[in-house]
Parts: sequence; structure tokens; C-alpha cells
Amino acid sequence: MIRETAWRVFAGEYNDATLETNGGGDRAPSYVVTPLGAKVNRIFVVGVITDVENIGTDMQPMWRARVADPTGQFHLYAGQYQPEAAATLSKLKPPVFGAVVGKSRTYTPESGTVYTSIRPETVKAVDAGLRDYWILEACRSLKRRIDAMAEAQGMDPLTKEALLKLGVKESVADGIVQAVGHYGKADLSRYTAMLAEALRYLLPESTEARGPEDAAVGPAVAAPAPEKEPAPADAVQETVLGIIVGQDGDGKGAPWDGIVEAAKAAGVSKDALEEAVNGLLDKGLIYEPVLGRMKKI
Amino acid sequence: MLHSLNTFGHPAEALYRTPPYVRDEAEIDTPQERDIVREELAAHVRDITRALSGKLSEQEIEKELSSYLNVYRVSLDTAKRSIVKKHGGNPANLAVGVSKTIRELVPGEQSVNLLVRIVAVYEKEVTPQGQGTKKILTGILGDPSGTIPFTAWEPLENPLEKGDVLRVQNAYTKEYRGQVQVNFGTRTLVSKDKPDALPEYKPAPGTGAPYAGKPTPVDIVDLREGASNVAVTARILSTETREVAVEGTPKSVYSGVLADATGKSQFSAWKDFGLQEDEVVRIEGAYVKSWRGIPQLSFDERAAVTRLKGDALPPKAKLAESPRMWIEDLAERGGGVDVTVRGILIDMREGSGLVSRCPECRRVLRKGACRIHGEVKGEPDLRVKAVLDDGSGALTAVFDRELTEALLDKTIDDAIAQAKEAMSADIVRDELADILVAQPIEARGNVTSDDYGLMMIVDQAKILKVDVQAEAREMLEGLEGSA
Repeated sequence: MIRETAWRVFAGEYNDATLETNGGGDRAPSYVVTPLGAKVNRIFVVGVITDVENIGTDMQPMWRARVADPTGQFHLYAGQYQPEAAATLSKLKPPVFGAVVGKSRTYTPESGTVYTSIRPETVKAVDAGLRDYWILEACRSLKRRIDAMAEAQGMDPLTKEALLKLGVKESVADGIVQAVGHYGKADLSRYTAMLAEALRYLLPESTEARGPEDAAVGPAVAAPAPEKEPAPADAVQETVLGIIVGQDGDGKGAPWDGIVEAAKAAGVSKDALEEAVNGLLDKGLIYEPVLGRMKKI
Repeated sequence: MLHSLNTFGHPAEALYRTPPYVRDEAEIDTPQERDIVREELAAHVRDITRALSGKLSEQEIEKELSSYLNVYRVSLDTAKRSIVKKHGGNPANLAVGVSKTIRELVPGEQSVNLLVRIVAVYEKEVTPQGQGTKKILTGILGDPSGTIPFTAWEPLENPLEKGDVLRVQNAYTKEYRGQVQVNFGTRTLVSKDKPDALPEYKPAPGTGAPYAGKPTPVDIVDLREGASNVAVTARILSTETREVAVEGTPKSVYSGVLADATGKSQFSAWKDFGLQEDEVVRIEGAYVKSWRGIPQLSFDERAAVTRLKGDALPPKAKLAESPRMWIEDLAERGGGVDVTVRGILIDMREGSGLVSRCPECRRVLRKGACRIHGEVKGEPDLRVKAVLDDGSGALTAVFDRELTEALLDKTIDDAIAQAKEAMSADIVRDELADILVAQPIEARGNVTSDDYGLMMIVDQAKILKVDVQAEAREMLEGLEGSA
């Protein structure tokens, strides 16, 4: 058996997937196919483990963890058949940078709804440098698929052979044909925006939004002045992040009521506040340690 | 075509390829050849008549055979069997086989005639189930088109010796371990012919027959197992001469490493072309064999070597650099010589850390036993087997003692002392896992492949340092520029 490649795929793309295939036969590996044609059996993720929870029993624990990257969150489930990953997860104290190697999984509670998750094989606490390197690798991988999918969308009829002829690699070409068959025409502008956002996340211009302490542990030296005026949404997020840090008096996270008050005082509407908080959650800059409290990572 | 047949002494070969009935008479150059063709075919017509016990006249059979060969264009063997079957006879009663050269043989021939020379022959004792011990002959047959293993299952009238030229009638073929084999059975007739009935067989490492047509120019990175008659322009990076035994005879192999701008390859020359280190050569008429999956260039007396100017390719120092490759490209090629891969060590495999090796064969012991030599006193060693994944593919990277000591920043003696104190070797493995798992590295070495995938014997490794910001900015600018 040839070992399955560990794909670097952002949560934003992975969670868009609603297609699971297998090559037929009882022991054939199964794959989660994303709208851009990543055909994922094994996945490698480095992000912020924001919370770990035992949703099983003491006797039969089932650990659920969330891992945030700049585009969204991965959901991990580790039970008795993943003893090493479960043991590591149970000992982690979030938030922490974590590297995860695992298998792709889907869950379909009702027809039409598909949730993707990861069954971890290995979990390891790592540093911010590796997280940044992973983002870069995931960006390269995403760009390859965007480019290949753009070629595919211009093809009629679309065949794997024609893609291979254009120099698209076999591993991508195969998934693209399946993806187009299932999802139809992928919205490439959405993924190009995702790519640009993830790249900007790595640049010092954006570390402003991540707060001064984070910049010190991160790869970037805090840039004194952003080269460009941040977009209004970024500015609001920055303000909200400041509020969350300011309201977090006891280190257990800023209470929601306090955040709302402070936001009002800063001239941020409730809608803008919610949008900013969601944006910060998606970027993995803040998390919810307990219900009703927000904390900076 | 007939000219080449003449050289090989196999006129009958033409029978089913270009049936004589349709062939332009002018193509047959001499009356002698014409006679041979007619005579051979007449023998097959008589053979069919006999197998059908005279149910059909020779004229009718000749007409029908002509239709099978010329209209339906099936092989002579198939045509004969079909005719006999169609008229209610038993094809097993056919006695005259079809002549073929070794290269034309496929598995499942029922009745084939060969003109061959014995390249090697050995006596062997076998004990078939439910029968007593029996002596059989095995060995290798050759003709100018190639060589093939054979087995004679029945005692032969005359003893066979190396160098004998044989006319073999009604042999059959089978496939054994992916290779065609000739078998002599109860129906097979073997007779000796004069030594000059067949040209002397020359043991060439290739398939022997000269190449037809112009060689195809190929870059080294594009060499694939099984390619033949290729042309490569490369600089010789190193040379060595080895002695090997080819079918029992000692032979010199002139080997080494050569490179072009796309990559490096091992080469093996079966003739001394006087290749010198650092010279640039064009090798035309080479073929590609693989060693543990890595394609390598081989050539023999059929190849032509031309010396080119030294500046026809980049200098040696440049070509000696290790090319960076994606693992998926290595997987597609089957491996590579001295390549560089960048990826992340995502898992450590069983058998990493302190291991015990068999003092006889250096295999790693499992539960104190070698799988060849049983329970032995193991010799300690230190190594890592880890999964290196670059997002396009994965390989098993093997780090030897020296590299592992460098990674751990301690000697094997330190590691042994540490394990003794902890009363378990696991402590060394765990420390390695701590250092290595999720570590981006750049590794350089030879990559081989087998059924379990790719393996790199790591020669040099370093922690990968990437300027993430610079690369991100470059990519972002490219993105915004194209938008």
C-alpha cells in the first residue's frame, strides 16, 4: 500500500466539501473531495487548538477539538481507536499551536447536510513559526488548485487526460474531474480571496490586527505603520480585539456584556461588533473559552 | 525483410507475417527462397490433412489456409488449429509446429519450432507430487533475437552441451514469474544441427538485436524503465570499473554517474568506451533499466558515443548539484539519484531510535532475533525511519547513525547510557520524535522504490529555514498583479 499524501488544505476549503468517494471495494481508501478538487484521505494541519472537550464519558472518552486557521476551523474527533492523539489532546491546554496529521471524515446527520471532520493520527504542540510555514504551504497548494480549476473551467469537454497534457499533476487532475461533476462550477473568486487573505495574514501589515504581544512571538516584527490604510472591516476588528484584551481582567476571557458596552462607547454598532467577532474567530485570533466570554489567542 | 530472414536462417518466419499468396513475387529474391517458402507451407497443408485423416483434399485445405492467412490475417498456428477444429478434427494431432525466433515467443504457444544454440544447461532433480525423483534439464537457449530459459521434462536421446545448435520441433511455452519459458515435452523433437547453422550467440546485456531507426533524444529526468534506443547528452561526473559475472563468465562493467541540466543518472556501459570524468558525450542507442526503481542508463556495443566540446553543458560543479524534486515526480519516475526534497517529517516509523543489528547480515533484529540468522547477539545502532511528506507525496526517509547522532546532539554511547538508566530504549525514540515530528526539513540522497513506495537513504539533511514573509509577499504580488 502506497502511503496517502498528507494534503495541506485550509479549513475554509475543507469545510465546503460535501463529496466523499471511495475507489470501490471494501478496503479501498475513501476521500473527501473539495470543490477545488483536493482529494483528501490524509490531511496535515497546523493551527491554533482553541478548545478541547471530552464529549464521551470518563470510561469511554471521545475528545473533540477545534483547530483554527486564517480561513476557519477544523473539527477533530479522537476516541479509543486513536489512543496517542487522544492522550495528547487530553493533556493540551488551549490555546496552543498544534500540528495535526489525520484522516478525512464526513458526517451526514440528515440528507443534504455534510459536516467534514478529522480523525487525528498524531497531534503535537508546535510554535508559531511552523504555523506560518504551514499557511505558506497551504497557500501554494490552494493556488495550484485554483490555477488548475481555472484551466478546467475553460475546457469543453473536461477530461483528466486534457488536464494532464496541460501539466496538471495526476493527483489534482483526478479530483478536479470529480469535483466538477459534483459541485458544478466552483466560485473561484471566493477561493482567490481566501488565498489573498491567508497570504496577508503572514505579512507584518496584518500583525497590527493581531496585537503587539502576538507580533513578538510571531514571525514578524511589528510594523510601526501599515503601508496601506486598513479596510474599514479590519479597523473594526482591530478595535474589537483591543476591547477584548482590555476587558479580559482576570485572564478567563472578556465577558460578552462588557465587550458590548465598550464597543458601544467606541462607536461600534452591535451588528458591526458581531461581524468583527466572527471575523476574529475565523482568523483564529480570539476564541471562546467558555460560553459568553471571548479571549485573545 | 527477407534479407534479414536470410541472416537469421529462419525463412519460415515470414509465413504468417506476410503470407506468400499475397506477396509480390518480386519480393522473393532467389528461387531457393521461393522453394523454402512453398515447401514450408506445403508441410503445414500436409499436416492439416493428416490431422483431419484425409477428410478434406489438400487443394481445399490450401484454399482455406490461404483465406485464413490472407483475408483474416491470423497467425499460421491459429489458422491451422481453427481449420482442424472446424472440420471436426483434434488440433492436438497437428505435428508440424510454426517456426519462430525467441523474441517472438509469447506464453501459451502450443507447438513451436526453434533454431537455437544452448547458452547454458544444467541437470536438475525434481520430485513431482506422487512420483519418484526425476532428472530434468534446464538452462538458457539463445538465437540472434534474444535468450530464453528452457526446461526439458523428458529424457533426450542425446546429451546436450553448451554451444550445441538445436532444431526443436513442437516445443511449448508457459509463463513463469513473469517470464516466457520454453518447455520440451513428450511431443517435442530435438535434433542437433551444424554449429554454423546459427550465428554465434553474443551475450549482450541488451536484447541483442540491433536497433532500427533513429535514437530518441531524452533528458535525464525523463528516462523511464524499458525505454530503448535513446540518445542522451551528458557530462560524466564519475567513473568506475566493476567485474561482474554474466551467465558464469566474468565481464567488466564501466559504470558511474552522468548528468545533464535536468538531473543525474547512474550508467552502466558493457563495452569500454574509454569514458573519462568531466567529458561531455552524446550516447546514442542506449536503453534504460531500473535498479530498485531508479531508472538508469545502460549501453553496449550497439551504442555510439560522440565526444562534444566541454562547454556544451554547464560545468561539472553546477551539474553535480542535487536537483530539487517533488515527491510525486519521484514517484512517477520510480526514484532518483542524489535528489533534494523539501517537506515535513509528519510521522516516525517503527524501528527508529536505538536498534540491534544482526552481526551477520546487518538486518535489524525483531524481539532479539534476525529473520535469517535466528537468535543472535545484536550490535547496537542508532537510526531514524520517518515519513517525509511535501504535500505532493510521501516517502520513507532513513537517517543513519551519524545523522541521527547529529540530530540528537549525542553519541550512540550517550544514547545507550540514557536508555540503560531509563531501563527502556523508548526514551531515545521519544526524544527523536520530539525533535523530528512536524519538523520541516530539506533532505538529500538517493530515492529508491518498491511495492511499499519510495525510500530515501538520507545523505544530508538540514532544518528548513524559509523566509515565509518574503515568499508570501511575492505570491500576493503575483496574485494582485494578475487580478
